Amino acid sequence: MLTPLLLIPLLGAIAISLWPGLPSQQARYGALSASGAALLWTLYLFTQFDLAFGGFQFHEFLPWLPALGLNYELSLDGLSLLMVALNSLITWIAIWSSDPTIERPRLFYSLMMLVSSGVAGAFVAQNLMLFFLLYEIELVPLYLLIAIWGGEKKAYAATKFLLYTALSGALMLAGFLGTVWLSGAKDFTYHAVMGHDLPMVWQGVLLGLLLVAFGIKIPLVPFHTWLPDTYVSASTPVAMMLGGVLAKLGTYGLFRFGLGLFPDAWAQFSPYLAGWAAVSVLYGAVTAIAQKDIKRMVAYSSIGHMGYVLLGGAAMTDLALTGALSQMVSHGIILAILFHLVGVIETKVGTRELDVLNGLMNPVRGLPMVSSLLVLGGMASAGIPGLVGFVTEFLVFQGSYATYPVQTLLGVIGTGLTAVYFVILLNRTCFGRLDNAIAYFPKVTFSEKLPAYVLASLILFLGIQPNWLVKWGEPTASLMVANIPILSTGVVADEVVQQISDQVQPEAAIAFPVPTLPSLL
Amino acid sequence: MTPIIAQTSWLIPLYPLMGALLTIPWSPAFIRSTGPRPAGYINIGMTALALIHSLLAFLALWGKSSPQFFFAPWLDVAGLSLSIPLEASLITLGACVLIAGLNLMAQIYAVGYLEMDWGWGRFFAMMALFEAGLCALVLCNSLLFAYMLLEILTLGTYLLVGFWYNQSLVVTGARDAFLTKRVGDLILLMAVLAIYPLAHTWDFRELAAWAQTANVDPGLITLIGIGLIAGPMSKCAQFPLHLWLDEAMEGPLPSTILRNSVVVTTGIWVLVEMEPVIALSSTASAFAIAVGAVTAIGATLISAAQIDIKRVLSYLSSAYMGLMFIALGAHQPGAALLLALIYALGMAALVMGAGSIIINITTQDLTQMGGLWSRRPVTAIAMITGAASLVALPPLGGFWAMLSLVSGLWQNDRGLLVAIVLLVNWLMAFSLARLLGLIFAGKTQQMTIRSPEPIWFIVLPLAIVAGFALHLPLVMAQFNLLPTWAEISQDMALLLTWSSILGAAIGTLLYVNRMVEDPSKLIQKPLQNLLAYDFYTPKLYRNTFVLGVDVLSRMTDWLDRYVVDGLVNAVGLASLFSGETLKYGNTGQFQFYVLTIALGVAGLGILMNWQALTALF
Repeated sequence: MLTPLLLIPLLGAIAISLWPGLPSQQARYGALSASGAALLWTLYLFTQFDLAFGGFQFHEFLPWLPALGLNYELSLDGLSLLMVALNSLITWIAIWSSDPTIERPRLFYSLMMLVSSGVAGAFVAQNLMLFFLLYEIELVPLYLLIAIWGGEKKAYAATKFLLYTALSGALMLAGFLGTVWLSGAKDFTYHAVMGHDLPMVWQGVLLGLLLVAFGIKIPLVPFHTWLPDTYVSASTPVAMMLGGVLAKLGTYGLFRFGLGLFPDAWAQFSPYLAGWAAVSVLYGAVTAIAQKDIKRMVAYSSIGHMGYVLLGGAAMTDLALTGALSQMVSHGIILAILFHLVGVIETKVGTRELDVLNGLMNPVRGLPMVSSLLVLGGMASAGIPGLVGFVTEFLVFQGSYATYPVQTLLGVIGTGLTAVYFVILLNRTCFGRLDNAIAYFPKVTFSEKLPAYVLASLILFLGIQPNWLVKWGEPTASLMVANIPILSTGVVADEVVQQISDQVQPEAAIAFPVPTLPSLL
Repeated sequence: MTPIIAQTSWLIPLYPLMGALLTIPWSPAFIRSTGPRPAGYINIGMTALALIHSLLAFLALWGKSSPQFFFAPWLDVAGLSLSIPLEASLITLGACVLIAGLNLMAQIYAVGYLEMDWGWGRFFAMMALFEAGLCALVLCNSLLFAYMLLEILTLGTYLLVGFWYNQSLVVTGARDAFLTKRVGDLILLMAVLAIYPLAHTWDFRELAAWAQTANVDPGLITLIGIGLIAGPMSKCAQFPLHLWLDEAMEGPLPSTILRNSVVVTTGIWVLVEMEPVIALSSTASAFAIAVGAVTAIGATLISAAQIDIKRVLSYLSSAYMGLMFIALGAHQPGAALLLALIYALGMAALVMGAGSIIINITTQDLTQMGGLWSRRPVTAIAMITGAASLVALPPLGGFWAMLSLVSGLWQNDRGLLVAIVLLVNWLMAFSLARLLGLIFAGKTQQMTIRSPEPIWFIVLPLAIVAGFALHLPLVMAQFNLLPTWAEISQDMALLLTWSSILGAAIGTLLYVNRMVEDPSKLIQKPLQNLLAYDFYTPKLYRNTFVLGVDVLSRMTDWLDRYVVDGLVNAVGLASLFSGETLKYGNTGQFQFYVLTIALGVAGLGILMNWQALTALF
């Protein structure tokens, strides 16, 4: 059931790269049909998925190197299913939105397919070592994708990305080895709550390793500085893959391995995690306001929005965790549409500078449809109700408010700041007077707009009918939260009590309404 | 058995929504051959349908006491089950009639006013979206969904104010409107999140029932109450979040009709629904009263010092909204709703009249107007009606609404508030008399010398709205909304009437009869500037919030570039540099390498066999 997810893109990649004398157009069609087939297979998985069961389904096992404990084991639960779906969708969209006249098309498309295959494998791997291998393997094609087809400073960006992610991989490996050796497991097969029997200190150390490892990948402040350079230097389809899918490997890993393996330590750490999330949200949003390059602005917005995912995970309620899983999907969709539209604007207008762009809403000479879609994407990112971004952020807030009120309210302030920079972006690019002297932009073809149409309709549809998004992750989220020891609530309650005594001081009183103890009981 | 027309009243917001969707073929110009006009006609038709439906449903429910409830499932996840509760009662359907009716008038008005505009599709779609949002808001019976609708309307305001997006003032106006309202919305969201763990419901009725017996921490409920007030504060353009309404006047005038008459009162509607919760905290109530009082006095003073016809009206809107805040803070939600009803029609007539003036004298500057009475009788009568219905002048609507407010205040021994309301009424009468005097009285000037009444698309809706404003007391009597003589305090009625007459008389003497050559000289320059420049609020914003966020974002960006990323790059550079330096330390001699390796192996060997070695010696 799951192997085709890896195999279809992989075969596609091999076929495209090795087929003798394949013209550019054919390579594109080939990539589209292979990724389309993977997308269809994902849809088929949705029909087969058992919603009543939160654990792993469709188990596959093939001994590979049993001596090392490394086996080809695949399996899928709600969390993986959502991520796999996001990967298949964004891959197809990214390939569609890549320039049909791109240089070295065969290499480009096969590398894209390779990334997709590796990421899909990582999302369904049920063996720690297999996850690590696939996590590392996708680095190589990504490095090449950035270094060959990137924009300015591409070599710098690609190397920075490679070094950062390799460091993340090394820390993760240390964490995995430590977990398996210390817990005395006989192989690297993933079991929930593996670290439960370890001493608390070791759990803390191992979870710390994983937190830093995945914190780099997500990224969380202060491990984020590879992100703006990489996203800005990468070409549009690669940026869509990076922001839409690759970043989710970090949050996926955080939930699957951090929360999944060490629920006790997670519960201990969670107040700090929630604080970290709030800092990330505010930092990303505030920094985005100061950016002058729209792609960089979108890149920083990504840092802020990944913070909500961590906040949802840290809150340890099934509502917040469901929200966090859904937020991963909605962030992927919204970021993909934003990067796509920014890419279209860059190709048509020739600049990404906020100070140069103006008046693209102009119906005759501007890019009216692209501008309207940009308004939609920006507002979805800013969390306007009726669009998917609001639903997921709201679930996170609603779920985490009871546990971490202060951090949640800081997150709400973060959505306000998000609105600030998106209004700056929209006012400068879409609104204003179009300079007639330079406004001879090429027409945007339907094919260039199609990815945005698809993503925009998803944003709208899932915003109005959120059940279609949230129901897939819910059973898994409940199961994961159920694994968190009951002891943790004592810790949490103490934390909250402390915060309350701090917060009901009169001078801080207006900004942050905080519940009292009765509200938590 | 409820008639079918009332049972289907959940359809009312869907008509305009359908109209908004139907403009899509014209808005990005898929259909070019017809021009954008069909989009407008479709929407007018849809609004008319919504009006007819709400009117019929209203009449069908008339005399039957029980409201109808509908539930539409929305989200069901992890123990949180949310369905959209709708309530069709006389009040909510009446509000729908008002909204749909005013929107119908505004849209017909727009046909004349935006005759030559190329953005019809977008304009009518946004108007329809507003109507849909407003109708859904009044029908909706849940705080959460009310919040969501308010947020959607915030986005709508941004797009509608930014309609003529290539003018710089419009762009800043749209930005400020969006951000100010968003600030309010998010504080409201905080309160929405905070109230759920206490009450376990967002349903207005259940919240009211909960508030009857609630036993909550006073500090917390104060914060929640203030949060609940802060959201509507930005919607209703109360101090210090009032600037956006003034800037939003840059948007197309027909949208201003809807915005200034009903959109701003959405905040009041939510507050009326939440009044039982706010009443739990006396501090929150006092906060509402303070905000309302400061706004009411400040904004009327400012309005009397403006020379832009639209600005005068926008500050008067804030001021009237301030009166409603006072009513809410004093626990008189009924009076607040009555004020909102009167205000909607009166303000709509005034804004429509202002548009009718502006469209063919092409200036908004009051100092360039004058002598229009003989040229524009219909507009003049309509505007005078609108103005008279706003202030407390018997027997018009404003008198009854203010009377019910003041009587209530007097009964609760709130003498100071009574004085404030009287003062505001006096100032408002003066400001309105000044406005009308400057437009219609005096000598004609260059701009006003040729000024006929505009096309009937503009004049007819204006006259109709003014007619409704005039006859509102009759309608109110029909629905038993007028207080009986036994209930009201006759002293208050006299005081109110006198304050209106006094204000209007001074305004008339100064600006109609022009007793003084230049009335602005009567007030000292610094004070005059303070009022004319809106207490320097724009400067205040620039020097506080805007500056703060700007500096903070620049600082963080600097930190990000040079400290966080600088550290990373420093590590990279250091490793490169040390590699480069170390390579010069190599001799290149084979023997040296062998020696190093041998020493290393020996060292490792000793280290690994340390235990064995120590045992040996």
